[in-house]
Amino acid sequence: MAVHVLRHAVRRLTGAAALACALTAGVAAAADAPRHVVKDPHYGDSLFQFYQEHYFSSVVGLMVSQHFDRVANNADEAELLRGSLLLSYGLHREAGEIFARLIAHGAAPSVRDRAWFYLAKIRYQRGFLAEAEDAIVRIGTTLPPDLEDDRGLLQANLLLARADYAGAAKVLAGMTTSTGAGRYARFNLGVALIKSGDPAGGSAWLDELGRASAPDEELRSLRDRANVALGFAALQRQQPENARTFLERVRLTGMDANKALLGYGWAAAESKNPRQALVPWTELSRRDASDAAVLEARIALPYAYAELGAFGQSLDRYNEAIATFESESKALDDSIAAIRSGDLLAGLLERNPGAEMGWFWNIRELPPMPHAGHLAPVLAQHEFQEAFKNYRDLQFLSHNLQQWQDKLGVFGEMLANRRHAYAERLPQVRAKAQGTDLAGLRQRRDALAGEFERVEAGADSAALFDARQGELLVRLDSVRAVVSRLGADPEAAAARERLRLAAGAMTWELAQQYPARLWEAKKALAAADRELGEASRRDAALAQAQRDEPQRFEAFAGRIVDLDRRIQALQPTVAALSREQQINVQDMVASELTRQKERLAIYATQARFAVAQLYDRAALEREADHAAR
Amino acid sequence: MKTRCFHWMRLAGLVLLAAMHAARAADASPAGTSTGVSATVAAASPAVAAQAPATAADASAASLDSRIQDVKTELIRLNRDLMVLEEELLFPASTQLAVFVSMDVGKLFALDSVQIKLDDKVVANYLYTPLEVEALHRGGVQRLYLGNLRAGEHSLVAFFTGKGPHDRDYKRGTTLKIDKGTDPKYIELQIKDSMDKLQPEFEVKVWQ
Repeated sequence: MAVHVLRHAVRRLTGAAALACALTAGVAAAADAPRHVVKDPHYGDSLFQFYQEHYFSSVVGLMVSQHFDRVANNADEAELLRGSLLLSYGLHREAGEIFARLIAHGAAPSVRDRAWFYLAKIRYQRGFLAEAEDAIVRIGTTLPPDLEDDRGLLQANLLLARADYAGAAKVLAGMTTSTGAGRYARFNLGVALIKSGDPAGGSAWLDELGRASAPDEELRSLRDRANVALGFAALQRQQPENARTFLERVRLTGMDANKALLGYGWAAAESKNPRQALVPWTELSRRDASDAAVLEARIALPYAYAELGAFGQSLDRYNEAIATFESESKALDDSIAAIRSGDLLAGLLERNPGAEMGWFWNIRELPPMPHAGHLAPVLAQHEFQEAFKNYRDLQFLSHNLQQWQDKLGVFGEMLANRRHAYAERLPQVRAKAQGTDLAGLRQRRDALAGEFERVEAGADSAALFDARQGELLVRLDSVRAVVSRLGADPEAAAARERLRLAAGAMTWELAQQYPARLWEAKKALAAADRELGEASRRDAALAQAQRDEPQRFEAFAGRIVDLDRRIQALQPTVAALSREQQINVQDMVASELTRQKERLAIYATQARFAVAQLYDRAALEREADHAAR
Repeated sequence: MKTRCFHWMRLAGLVLLAAMHAARAADASPAGTSTGVSATVAAASPAVAAQAPATAADASAASLDSRIQDVKTELIRLNRDLMVLEEELLFPASTQLAVFVSMDVGKLFALDSVQIKLDDKVVANYLYTPLEVEALHRGGVQRLYLGNLRAGEHSLVAFFTGKGPHDRDYKRGTTLKIDKGTDPKYIELQIKDSMDKLQPEFEVKVWQ
């Protein structure tokens, strides 16, 4: 049932990362559903994997994102998705705990309703019917429409399980017009009404389905099934004519064709019309003998001949049937031996590869095996599929562990390289860092800052000059010294005047340029501060790295060792479980084939008994002839 | 004799009927069945579906199933821890850059491929399968690139190739200046439909 749960999610996750319990949801249906609002890209990434049916990547990626707290804005939806994915892997306990936690912590009604629904589903699957009913009645009104259908069907199943047929019929009666599950609800309603003691009402629903047009294979199969159910119910009520009417509607090539042909023959025989029974039974007896209906037809056909008085043909057919049963029995022995040798599972895995562990993986191709026809019906059984998927999951997990073990080896080497590079570079970086006298630079910067403060406070424009002005100031000083030595000589008056003018012009120029120079000087000081800050930050980071890196390396190395230990501890467990599960699956198939053999033996005994009776009859007739002569 | 034989045969028919019901119960399993059929069958034989394991063999199988469940749980947790280690080792938070691709509606643009250039260097070239495009249409967000980037300014250029309106070949680029700090950087490239212009639009969202 876990599979049910996941496939629905394909439809429903677009609405809110949810899963449900049915399988038809196709890509198109899902695409038509309302889009989900992704509030964290990593949650969207898990959905991206999920939509591609990469469920393992999806759930592990989601858990990684939860570890890094990257899906906080979609927290409840992410938990719901995780629970559903775990459920899809058959991890009922953990999934149940997640849903219960979501309910307990007061998630939004839409999340809570879906969690109750899944809890009800899990409990139903595990056989806790009362608890499942308790959960289902707590579901509010926020389920999406198609989940609402599933809720109805589940509720009806729960009522049917405790033989409340009338209650189930009441629930289903309200669903018959649903566009999604309507036809199935009508079928179930028909069955429920028949079981509740209203065969006429139930048959009416099934008859309506049995005559309805069916545009696709799924609905055609449902129609066939309704007609077969009606046909056999009529046979049970000893209404062979009605049974023939219903069974005539079943397609000759559908999944239920063999049952219908067999039933049609019995209806004809019960109507005292064995000649008419010959037609379906002859057709059926030519079909693949791995089907129980075909085997039964092999002895039903000579019975019809005997009924018609064609004892010779009847005897021939019985003998043919006995030969067939014996040869089939031998073939079954071959199949059982091949299964026990492990060929079946190895061949199935080889011919049906899949990228990931998952419940939606299906067997598409049978391996070349002796008399593979026997296997198809066994392999189609739910128990086998579940058990085989478990086996396949274990194989996947075994490879997964091996891959991680290889990767961990690479991580270990990478870490060793980093350690080596770190040890190599550290002295160089240290030497370089020590060559940079950060403290001296900081002192020079502080001295400069003090000088700027003084210049600014005193508006000392003469302190801020460029190279040309510096040269001119030097020349002015030297001229001033010469003029000063000349004293009050009147002949030097012109020179003094020119010096005064030149010095005044310089003072004017410096005063003019002072604001811009001061701004530039402040800007340069700020830039120096930034660079000094960056250098200090790097210096601190280097010091921090010197302290932390060895610890980080140690921590990583410790984690690698720990994870490797966990892998090594799990590998033999997975291998042992894999072997155990292989034997379990093989036993399952072999037991089923043994049951087929026993059925064949019963048929063969009955055929031999019938042959003996035919001989007795012939002997009695001969004796009677003799006596008459 | 005829009568006796007939009754035996009739009984066989009824045995088959019972077998048919049992088969339906088996069909109630989800594997490969559709919603309706499984629901149908489950309802047709609910008691079978609801039965708890009763025999010793069933109990043993249940125990094996339970142990397999435990191992699967442990392995999923182990995979999480391994992936956490891998990410911390290869893409530390201080240098991590993740580029995501998403699609809103996407009716005006059929995505074929995306190329990402980081500081003029091609770091990702991705060709989409129909299944991946479908996953994007349904709201999935693909983490297209995960890498490391130093702190500071960088340029990211993304080219989208596909079919635009009227099934015409369409290639568009979008550019973004990234200021990478010491926290991980998540960038989402969004493909949207502009119904006003009847053209696809390519937007960039910086998550952090």
